[in-house]
Amino acid sequence: MSEKKGKHIAIYGKGGIGKSTTTSNISAVLAESGYRVIQVGCDPKSDSTTILRGGNDLPTVLDTLREQSKVKLEDISAVGFGGVLCIEAGGPVPGVGCAGRGINAAVELLQDLKVFEEYKPDFVLYDVLGDVVCGGFAVPIRDGIAERAFVVTSSDFMAVFAANNLFKAINKYAPSGGARLGGVIANSIQAPHSRPLIDDFARQAGVPVIGYVPRSMTVAQSELYGKTVIEALPGSEQADVYRNLAKYIDESHDSVIPKALNGPELKKWARSWGDRIFEAETGVVQNMESI
Amino acid sequence: MSHSIDGSRNSCALHGALQLIEAIDGVVPVVHSNSGCGFQHFLGVNRASGSGVACGSPPVSSSNVTEKHVVFGGSSRLREQLKNTVKVVDGDLYFIVSGCSTEMVGDDIPAMAKEGRDQSFPVVFANTPGFRGGVHHGYQLAARALIDQLPELRTTHPGTPGKLVNIWGIVPRQDPFWAGNLEEIGRLLEGIGVEPNLLVGNGQDSSAWHRVPQAALNLALSFWGEAPAERLAELYGTPSLVFGELPVGSNSGNLLRAVGEQLGFDPERTETFIQAEEIRLHRHLAALADTYFRAGFQREFVLVGERAQAAGIGTFLVRTLGLIPRGFVITDDLPDGQRELLPHAFGDIIREFGARLFFSEDRAEIAEIVRELKPGLVLGSALEEGVAREIGAPFLKLSFPLGDRIVLDRACAGYRGAATLIEDIGSALLAGSR
Ligand SMILES: Nc1ncnc2c1ncn2[C@@H]1O[C@H](COP(=O)(O)OP(=O)(O)OP(=O)(O)O)[C@@H](O)[C@H]1O
Ligand code: SF4
Ligand SMILES: [Mg+2]
Repeated sequence: MSEKKGKHIAIYGKGGIGKSTTTSNISAVLAESGYRVIQVGCDPKSDSTTILRGGNDLPTVLDTLREQSKVKLEDISAVGFGGVLCIEAGGPVPGVGCAGRGINAAVELLQDLKVFEEYKPDFVLYDVLGDVVCGGFAVPIRDGIAERAFVVTSSDFMAVFAANNLFKAINKYAPSGGARLGGVIANSIQAPHSRPLIDDFARQAGVPVIGYVPRSMTVAQSELYGKTVIEALPGSEQADVYRNLAKYIDESHDSVIPKALNGPELKKWARSWGDRIFEAETGVVQNMESI
Repeated sequence: MSHSIDGSRNSCALHGALQLIEAIDGVVPVVHSNSGCGFQHFLGVNRASGSGVACGSPPVSSSNVTEKHVVFGGSSRLREQLKNTVKVVDGDLYFIVSGCSTEMVGDDIPAMAKEGRDQSFPVVFANTPGFRGGVHHGYQLAARALIDQLPELRTTHPGTPGKLVNIWGIVPRQDPFWAGNLEEIGRLLEGIGVEPNLLVGNGQDSSAWHRVPQAALNLALSFWGEAPAERLAELYGTPSLVFGELPVGSNSGNLLRAVGEQLGFDPERTETFIQAEEIRLHRHLAALADTYFRAGFQREFVLVGERAQAAGIGTFLVRTLGLIPRGFVITDDLPDGQRELLPHAFGDIIREFGARLFFSEDRAEIAEIVRELKPGLVLGSALEEGVAREIGAPFLKLSFPLGDRIVLDRACAGYRGAATLIEDIGSALLAGSR
C-alpha cells in the first residue's frame, strides 16, 4: 500500500451496534484535524454517512452502476462535514441478488475509478455491514484492501459473538495479506459489568481495547439534527471520547492477529459472565473492578 | 476429503437435466445461468457424446447472466429470456433449468415459471445447479420436475390401461447408445404385448410424459431410474420393477419374463417371443464359430463404464461369449451404500472369476488400473483409448465420452444390441490381430 493512497481501515461489528455512528464521528475528528478522509459505507442500507451529510440523499454506487454503464466519482460521492468524501456502496433490493458480491463490485469500481490515487486521502474508512456472514462481506479485509480492522462491540453476548466471528475471518485472511486487527472499540458502555466484560473478552482474544464510548443522549440528540456529535455538540464529553479514539487510530500503528474463541470456549466464557452478573445483581459481593 | 478428478466423464446436474430435456421433441430448454454453462454442455457433453448435434452454435436458449445479475438478482433477465424464447421457438413445453450462479444468489425460478404459466405458456422448471450433484442426478431432477409439474398443465393423453410401462434410468448421451438401446428395449417389450413409454429419443414428445401417471408399471433400468419410479409410486401408487442393469442378450429374456409376470401376461406367449429372439442370437453365434477361434475371442478383458452398463454387458460377455473378466471400473457416482449392491448375476461373475472391481471416474487412476491388469481387450470410453494403445490391447469405445465414434441408433442392449456388440468386439479383435 503506497503512501499516497492513505491508511485504509475497516470497521466491523454486529448490526445496530454503533458502527456508523462511531465511524462517522472518527471521520469527523480526522477531518477536523486537517486530514483528507473518505468514508465508504459497505452496507445495502446505505446509511453509513448520513450524519456526515446532514441527512441528504446520496445515490449509491450500485444503484448508479445498475442504471448507467459509465460511472463518474461525482455521481456517487458527496462532500460532508469537514470535507469528508462520503460514498455508499449500496446493495440490491432486500431478498434479491447477492449483497456480498455487490460490495465487491463497488470496491472494485472505486479502484477502477482511481479514487484513491486521485483524491489522495490520508484515511479511508470502510463501515461494513453487520456480522461477517459470508465471503462477500470479508472483501474489505481480504487481499489487503484495508490494512487494519477495528471491531465495535457492546457487552451484549450477540455483539461479542459477532466480534469473535470477525476475529475468525481475520485469522483466516491475515496470513495471506489480509487486514490485521487494530483493536476493539467498546460502545454503549452503561451497565457496571460492561467494561470488565469486554476487557475480559479482549484479553482472552489477545487484542487491545482502544476506547470506551459511553451510552449517551448526545449521540441520539445529534443524530436527530442529522449530525455527528463532533459537529452538533463539539464541546461535549462524548465528543472528546471520539477525539481520543481518532487520535489512537491516527497515532498507533499496532495491530495483532486475534485468537478467536471456539464455540465451546465462547459458551463457557459467556456462562461464567452470566453467573457473575447474576450474583452482582442479587447482591453477592464479588471482586469486580468497576462495580 | 476433497481431491481433483482427472478427465472427468461425469458432467454436472444442469447438463444431465439438459440431456433429458433435449431428448424430448418439442420441449424447449431455457438455461438460467452464465453463458459458460450452456456452452460447456455443447462442447463438453454433446459434441463428445457421439450422437448428433445440430449445426452451428449451441442451440440452447440461455439467460447468460453477468455480474450485474448476480448482484441485483437475475429474475428479470430470466423473465425477458423466457419472453423472447416463446417468441422465437415454438415449443409444446418450455423448461427452465438453473445453474450455480443463479442458485447461489437465490433467484426465484419457480416464480418466473409461474409467471409464464399465468400468461398461458406451458412452463416447468428444475433447480439444477452443479453443486447439487452430477449428470445422473440432473436427469433425476428434470424427470422429477416433469412428473410433479406436468399434471398441473392438465392435458390428458391416456395410454392403454394395464399395458403402459414407463422406462427410466437410461440417461441420454451419458449412455452413448441411449437412443438405440431404448428403441430395442421398446421393441422387445412390444413383442410380449407391453405398450412401452420410452419417454426420450426418436419422436418421443411431451405427450409421452403426460401419459406417465397412467402407467401400469415403472421399469428402472439403472439405479438412476429408481428415484422417478419411487416418486410415481408415492403419487399414483404405480408398482415398479428395478432391473438394475442393461438387459443384453439372453438377460433380456429375464427382463421380459419379469415384466410379463408383473403385468399378469400369459407366460407362454412371452416365452414364445423370447425363444424366437434366442434362436436368432444363437444363429449369429453359430455363424461366428470360425472367427471366434481365429480372432481369439476368449481373452481377458477390462470394462470401464457405468454400473448398469458394466453389469449388463459384462454378464453377456462372460456368460454368452465366454470372455474372461479381469476387472470392471464403475464410473457413475453412486451414493454411499449403493456401490456394493451389485446385480446378482454380475456379483457371481466377479466372485467366480476373481475379477477386480473398482469405482473411479478419474482418467489417470483408471489408466493405472488398466496398465496393472494388462488385459487382452479393453472396453471403455475415449479416455481409455490411450492406455489401451499403450498396452497393445484391442479397444472398443462403449461409454461416454465417445469422442470420435458416431452412434445414431445402434444399440448394445437387447438381442439386437447383443449382435452389434459381437460385431464390434469381433471387428476390434480382428483389427488388433492384423
Ligand atoms: N454510544 C452511543 N450512545 C447512544 N446511542 C448510540 C451510541 N452509539 C450508537 N447509538 C445509536 O444506536 C443506533 C444504531 O447506531 P448505528 O446506526 O451507528 O449502528 P450500526 O452498527 O451502524 O448499525 P447497522 O448495522 O444497522 O448499520 C443509532 O440510533 C445510534 O444513534
Ligand atoms: S457446474 Fe455449475 S457453473 Fe458449471 S456448468 Fe454446471 S451449472 Fe454451470
Ligand atoms: Mg450502519
